[in-house]
Amino acid sequence: MKIILKLQDNYELQANLFSFVIHFGLFIFMLVSIQWQMKDVYYSEVELWDAMPMQVKSQPVTNKKKSADIKKLTPKAIEKQKQLKINEDAEIKLKKKRKAEKKAKIKRVQKQALKQEKIEQLQKKLLEQEKIEQLQKKLLEQEKIDTLKESILDQDVKKNARIAVEADQELFAGSNTGELNKFKAMIQQKIYQNVNKQLCGLDLVELEFEIQLMPTGELLGDPKLMQSSKIESCDQALERAILQSQPLPVPKDAKLFSKLKNLKLKFSPNAYTE
Amino acid sequence: MKIMLNYIHRFIFFVTLITLSLSSNSIEVIEILGGKASQIPIAITPFNEEIRTMGQVPDKKNAFREKMHKVIANDLERSGLFTSLDTSGISTIPDSDILINFSNWSALQAQFLVVGKIITIQNRLITRWSLIDIYKEKTVLSMEFSGSKKQYRGIAHKISDLIYKKLTGSPGVFHTRIAFVKKKSEKIYGLYVADYDGFNQRVIVNSSQPILSARWSPDGKKIAYVSFEKKKPVIYVQNLTTGKRVLVANFKGNNSAPAWSPDSKKLAIVLTYSANSQIYIINSDGSGIKQLMRTRSINTEPAWSPDGKEIFFSSDRGGNPQIYKVNVDGVSDVNRVTFEGKSNLSPSLSPDGKLLLFLTQDNGKFRVAIQNLLSNQVLKLTKGPHDESPVFSPNGHMVLFTYKDYGKTTKIGTVSINGLKVTPLRVGSEAIQESSWGPITSN
Amino acid sequence: MKKSLLLVALMTSMVAGCSSTDIKDSMGLNAPFPELTSQTAELSPAAMDELASNPLLSERSVYFKFNSYDVESQYSNMLAAHAEFISKHNVAVAINGNADFRGSHEYNLSLGQKRSVSVSDSLSGLGIGSNNVETVSYGEENANQECTGSACDQDRRADIVYVGE
Repeated sequence: MKIILKLQDNYELQANLFSFVIHFGLFIFMLVSIQWQMKDVYYSEVELWDAMPMQVKSQPVTNKKKSADIKKLTPKAIEKQKQLKINEDAEIKLKKKRKAEKKAKIKRVQKQALKQEKIEQLQKKLLEQEKIEQLQKKLLEQEKIDTLKESILDQDVKKNARIAVEADQELFAGSNTGELNKFKAMIQQKIYQNVNKQLCGLDLVELEFEIQLMPTGELLGDPKLMQSSKIESCDQALERAILQSQPLPVPKDAKLFSKLKNLKLKFSPNAYTE
Repeated sequence: MKIMLNYIHRFIFFVTLITLSLSSNSIEVIEILGGKASQIPIAITPFNEEIRTMGQVPDKKNAFREKMHKVIANDLERSGLFTSLDTSGISTIPDSDILINFSNWSALQAQFLVVGKIITIQNRLITRWSLIDIYKEKTVLSMEFSGSKKQYRGIAHKISDLIYKKLTGSPGVFHTRIAFVKKKSEKIYGLYVADYDGFNQRVIVNSSQPILSARWSPDGKKIAYVSFEKKKPVIYVQNLTTGKRVLVANFKGNNSAPAWSPDSKKLAIVLTYSANSQIYIINSDGSGIKQLMRTRSINTEPAWSPDGKEIFFSSDRGGNPQIYKVNVDGVSDVNRVTFEGKSNLSPSLSPDGKLLLFLTQDNGKFRVAIQNLLSNQVLKLTKGPHDESPVFSPNGHMVLFTYKDYGKTTKIGTVSINGLKVTPLRVGSEAIQESSWGPITSN
Repeated sequence: MKKSLLLVALMTSMVAGCSSTDIKDSMGLNAPFPELTSQTAELSPAAMDELASNPLLSERSVYFKFNSYDVESQYSNMLAAHAEFISKHNVAVAINGNADFRGSHEYNLSLGQKRSVSVSDSLSGLGIGSNNVETVSYGEENANQECTGSACDQDRRADIVYVGE
């Protein structure tokens, strides 16, 4: 009781005791937590190295002063203890700091993850919506087509309707049909005429080029070699074949042309075609 | 984690769905199968000549200018991979790669252009030339050579070699030499060596008796040949630089068909020591003879594979002569190689070992043919009726052979291995018997 | 100038070749032609007369079909006569095989050889040993390079030539 009372009165003593308790607690904490902080021991070691020189720099000044003052009186051991304490303090402070940083980091990551999840959910919703819209669109088209078909009784009318249906399908569904294939065949034929396979050796080699076309049928830029035959003269000969085939036959219709303006050309010059 | 995966899967699914339905984003694919055996159109312009010697009157005929571009054009045409365009109608010929009117040349269907300038100083020629890509509108090669006036053909051949290598990826053979036997009369035979195009020929052996089977060593230093000067066929190896020769085979019976191993150290030869023709292997100095195999039938015309492991030869073990092959160590079985045609003779291998060159009898006509050893497809390169002695050029792109019509003298010429270009060699009016092609030399 | 030098070089090298055998002949194969073993006799004048007078003996050539080396039966009598002559006088004979110009030079050399061997085998069947017979081939080297059709037939033959004639 007395001790406690004494404690209550004496603020200095309180402070000191408090400080001691905290120090002790932290000390225990440090000991206990060393297990999982083992990995970080490296870090702390590294950082200490960083920190140490700074302290060393500043210390000689204070040390000198101290030693100047307490030279005769204090043995080196006490000095060392003091230094240790300072180091400990610094260490603990750093550890505190880093712990806090870590906490903050974890919080940030969690926040981000949450954000990401939210975004993904949103995206998924959007996609689902889009998909639904697409399906709805398709259904609508199909309905349209069906109704068109249904309204036909006469043979001639049927014919016309079929053509109309196909045209609609081309326009709405955007799938490959006659016109597109026709132009593809013309392009293929024109380039084939210029393929000089003599520079491609005897083995079955394959090449791929990508080209961009202008509405005039001429190339925009150079053909891009995507897959080489591993024979330089063959690659060059086929590039020449493409360049020589300009202007390539392209449709006048802008929408159809847009499907052909980027082309992938696959060559197999030594393939038997007969 | 599972939830994550689930999200990913669904995400991918929707993305693909969208991509599929939005077809305007996909790229059209065009497949072009096969191709043509066509020739690169190249315009080789006469080189402008500039004479820098005081007091020297320029030759009105512009001697070197006319000669050089013709040599180059002939070289490239003969290979079968190029057609040389006629530039005679063009008024202004450029002599360097500056100020080229690409659209003009493109209008002529030229894919490449060769321009050059020859400067004559005393007895020297300095040749500056460029190879230009018309489609890409850029200079591909640009060089300068100097040499004596006499070397103008050599300079032109070197230019051809460089153009060939650049555009086909294979080394050119326009600087190489060939050998052939000329029968001047019943009693006069000569073994000749010449530039691959038949120019600059010189005789290295004169004999009153037949000379056969001239074979250039792969290292280019010697020629082996069969001579009847001892009233029977014997084999000599002659050094091309010194002219000295060594009698390497004079065994009982016939000694013939010398074939150099790829390392020039051994010769496969044919002896009739044991009655019929059999194949033996000896060192190129004549020592160390070893029999390859022995059967009751004819085994002759040995030819080494480029890896030195197999020997191809002709044999009548199956009735009519066909081509077979066997391992050099003689341990393996003998395998038949040719199956088409009544008779197949005179085998030799391309430098890459993929093609077999031979003579095939087809409806009574003897024609030069090649067989792809992997696919066994046969392509007849010449028409006959009496083509003989086919040998590959050292890059495997041309074949040298002799040919004759019924009742006429034998001539010599080249054919490209696509069979498209047959060009005679002008070496004189006498009958040409055997031919051999010397190796590529680095200089 | 160059040519004559070459010829001289040629001749000297030939002489050198004759005087020393460059081949290390481990198989003991080397025996220069047309030296047959000393176990045969030279052609005596009497024998030569006989050769000239006997009609069968003046027939010296066996002819062959294209790409063939079979001795046909029509030559049996002729070969029998030669066999008898050879064995009687113990003389040496060379059989020179030939081919027409069609096909490669080397293969024709082998074909000519096979024809020569064929005739030699026939003689062997009639009791004539290898001591008396040398088989040689000239391939197409003696053939008419410009013959056409049946004119080429006569190039496909083996000739019997007596050493010393």
